[in-house]
Amino acid sequence: MAGELVSPTPALRGSARRTAALRLLRRRLIQAVPLMLGVVIINFCLIQMAPGSFLELMTAENQVSDPATVALLRKTYGLDDPVWMQLLKYIWALLHFDFGFSYRQNMPVIQAIWIHLPATVLLMVSSIALAVSIGVAAGVVASMKVRTFWDSLVSIAAMFFYAAPSFWLGIMMIVLFSVKLGWLPVGGMMKIGGASSGTWAGVLDILRHLILPTLALGLFYAAIYTRVMRSSMLEVAQLDFVRTARAKGLSRNKVTIHHVLRNALLPVVTILGVQMGTVLAGSVVIESVFSWPGVGSLLFDSVSSRNYPVVLSIMVLGSLVVIAANIAVDLIYMWLDPRIEIR
Amino acid sequence: MQRFEFPRFEFVGRFARNRGALVGACLILVVALMAVFASVFFPTDPLRIVGLPELWPGEDPEFPLGTDSLGRDILSMIVHGARATLLIGLFASAVATIIGVGVGAIAGYFGGWVDEISMRVAELFQTIPNLIFVLTIVVILGSTLTNIVIAIGIVSWTPIARMTRAEFLSLRDREFVQACRSMGMSDLRIIVSEILPNALPPVIVLSSLVVAGAILFESAVSFLGLGDPNVASWGRLVGDGRQLIRSSWYICAIPGIAIMITVLCLNLVGDGLNDALNPKLRDR
Amino acid sequence: MSGQALPLEITDLRTTLFTRRGEMKAVDGLSLSVGAGETVALVGESGCGKSLSALSVMRLLPDPPARIVGGQVKLNGRDIVPLPEEAMLGIRGKEIGMIFQDPISSLNPVTTVEKQIVEVLMTHTELGRGQARVRAHELLELVGMPDAARRLDAYPHQLSGGMCQRVVIAMAIACSPSVLIADEPTTALDVTVQAQVLALLKKLQADAGMAMIFITHDLGVVAETADRVVVMYAGRKVEEASVDELFENPLHPYTVGLIGATPTPGAERAERLADIPGMVPPLNALPQGCAFAPRCKRVMDRCLTEKPALTVPGPGRLVACFAAQGG
Repeated sequence: MAGELVSPTPALRGSARRTAALRLLRRRLIQAVPLMLGVVIINFCLIQMAPGSFLELMTAENQVSDPATVALLRKTYGLDDPVWMQLLKYIWALLHFDFGFSYRQNMPVIQAIWIHLPATVLLMVSSIALAVSIGVAAGVVASMKVRTFWDSLVSIAAMFFYAAPSFWLGIMMIVLFSVKLGWLPVGGMMKIGGASSGTWAGVLDILRHLILPTLALGLFYAAIYTRVMRSSMLEVAQLDFVRTARAKGLSRNKVTIHHVLRNALLPVVTILGVQMGTVLAGSVVIESVFSWPGVGSLLFDSVSSRNYPVVLSIMVLGSLVVIAANIAVDLIYMWLDPRIEIR
Repeated sequence: MQRFEFPRFEFVGRFARNRGALVGACLILVVALMAVFASVFFPTDPLRIVGLPELWPGEDPEFPLGTDSLGRDILSMIVHGARATLLIGLFASAVATIIGVGVGAIAGYFGGWVDEISMRVAELFQTIPNLIFVLTIVVILGSTLTNIVIAIGIVSWTPIARMTRAEFLSLRDREFVQACRSMGMSDLRIIVSEILPNALPPVIVLSSLVVAGAILFESAVSFLGLGDPNVASWGRLVGDGRQLIRSSWYICAIPGIAIMITVLCLNLVGDGLNDALNPKLRDR
Repeated sequence: MSGQALPLEITDLRTTLFTRRGEMKAVDGLSLSVGAGETVALVGESGCGKSLSALSVMRLLPDPPARIVGGQVKLNGRDIVPLPEEAMLGIRGKEIGMIFQDPISSLNPVTTVEKQIVEVLMTHTELGRGQARVRAHELLELVGMPDAARRLDAYPHQLSGGMCQRVVIAMAIACSPSVLIADEPTTALDVTVQAQVLALLKKLQADAGMAMIFITHDLGVVAETADRVVVMYAGRKVEEASVDELFENPLHPYTVGLIGATPTPGAERAERLADIPGMVPPLNALPQGCAFAPRCKRVMDRCLTEKPALTVPGPGRLVACFAAQGG
């Protein structure tokens, strides 16, 4: 242990922490470049491995016979060049947000994805919010009532939701809440011919449609966060500073909220970052169950019709979203844990 | 202050946990037996039409779980589906374990830039949204059983690699390894015959959890109608029943329950094994 | 005790661990009183019940498995053992301050020093947030924190162990408690820092006239800080004396062993006591007679069958040993 006289790092005031955060951001962005490159290369390998010619692949089921288009594509993707040149040209095209053309939607792929993006973002954000709030609350309750009825109840519920396939859960909720009880809509995002999304009635309508898909997608992750949060709370509660806080005369609840909770959240935040990709992937299935008009539905439609350009682009852009989300999570983590200091 | 053990309560807790793992193991055994003896119980093709369509469970004693929209016996389909579901789960987990142990062992043993690159690759595979990756592979390379198994393996190996790497990192500088090195044993032999057996137990536990994940993956792929058309796994049964939820929701519900129970039991067994291996981490 | 009640008076305190392997009497009939401005050292090897005694006084026992099963803890004349938890909230940190062994882990890693001190002030005093922050600054200066103003914004990991202990001390004395319990406050610190922290504690105590219980296994520290010493073994008090008498003429063979095992200043701390062979017996397997008998150099037949009671060999002294009583 250092002596008194050793001068420790000075306290990080607001501006210093901001600088540190910017440094972290820059480092993560630099690290993201090889990662994205890797995704693109995997993508390119998949194209190369596919049976059938590249042109068939990129023009999907609409066998383009227009010689002018074919010639254009050959030139764009450099089909007469060696493989490495093709890869470079592919990367070059992606760098310019040229993800190809979707003949099925008759628009550039990037535009097709853009149209479907808001619905998916809405679903993902609401599901993650649900998962984190339920997970944290249930985990805290279970840890405070450890080894009691409530703890067991929470653990059992978490085990079930952790094992239930999300699509099946979604269907079962449709059966109960939409078909039998008639409380909530079966699917879609808005009532057909209903109020427009700009009005309050429209927003309410979307929210009503959002409830079941959010539950179906979010409960699985809520189960994970519950388990992590519970064990993390129990672990932190054993630490010395919790006893110090109690010795200061704080009540058990105050100690739990002010001291244990914040430290216990750290592992949850970490997992949140790791799982961002699986949440996005999970939305594919859920969107299909609820006819939710998002990127997942687009992907499902494209997969079914073998519309490769869209499928591959969603994979690349999905990875990009995951990388961005991970950077955001890193920044949140840094804000929560002052011990993280970037050199 | 010492950390106090809670023996009396711990006993109850451990008992409950062991009981969970025990029940899980028994149920898994039942499912496995179903899978193995499917053709003994139901010698006829499960996809054959045998009765009236949409009979509810219990309506006709001949079909305890009812019939689907075409009049096929749901129980027979569940029993036969167990085989497909379990096999896909096992094989996908095997693929993931082979890749994961290979990458993790090399990364942990050699360290340095090999480790750095291996972990970057693992990060890469964690970045691509897993199910989207599986769907892309399956749709481009074709919806065959092999492709699905490999695709699921490819998206599931990273946790195994990380764990294997961590085990290797802690084992590679132990005395027995150094002794082998000084005897001039080759790296490959040290990895395979000296370190690996010591590193394996936690990895096997993780693999059992990967089986559960793989079953969920496969069921999602099949549910979306992208599974192997020749295989009637549970996920596909849910997908097939989807159109009839207004009249006969049980067609969807039953195979889903089968998936849930199987995954639940695998998780219980995995947790139980984990507890048994790391008694100190029991409360996590 | 006539007239004014003592700040802290423990009578026949019994704390038991209820475990699967049976009940363990971790604190078995401890009596102890501390006057204002007095320091009583509680000495013994780890596992002898010192820390559990302190936590019993604070009513912060890990329950399960530990519970107070008998005795009184009188704080300024009022028995706090039967008090409900809500009443204890107003006592902890206000009337009794406590300092722990490992200063760095005793502080919340994700909160600033200032917030942690302000928290205790706002719990027990009428101060507003602004006033509490000013007071926190004063307290840090009081405990001799170098560059106090800047340290307010620091997080614990940015401070050295000695500085963290100063923060913990600041929190403990923030509301001017009448009793201060220091549980091995210097064990985790460097020797030079140890001396500084001890000097600080002595000064703060003298200025405020606090009663202090000083828990340690290090008799070298005891000589510097304590007025009176209570030696514990296996949950029981085996000897009590003023600090001078104890070092001049230790009566209990265990105390003799402890003094013999005290390392010279600057030397590495002895984790095991060289002069006393063997280990502290587990609490669920205590011998029938004197708990120390299996390790005792002066063991007699009687010691193996009969527990020695505390006797008064001289004014202000207590000892529980047949050999010390002369058979």
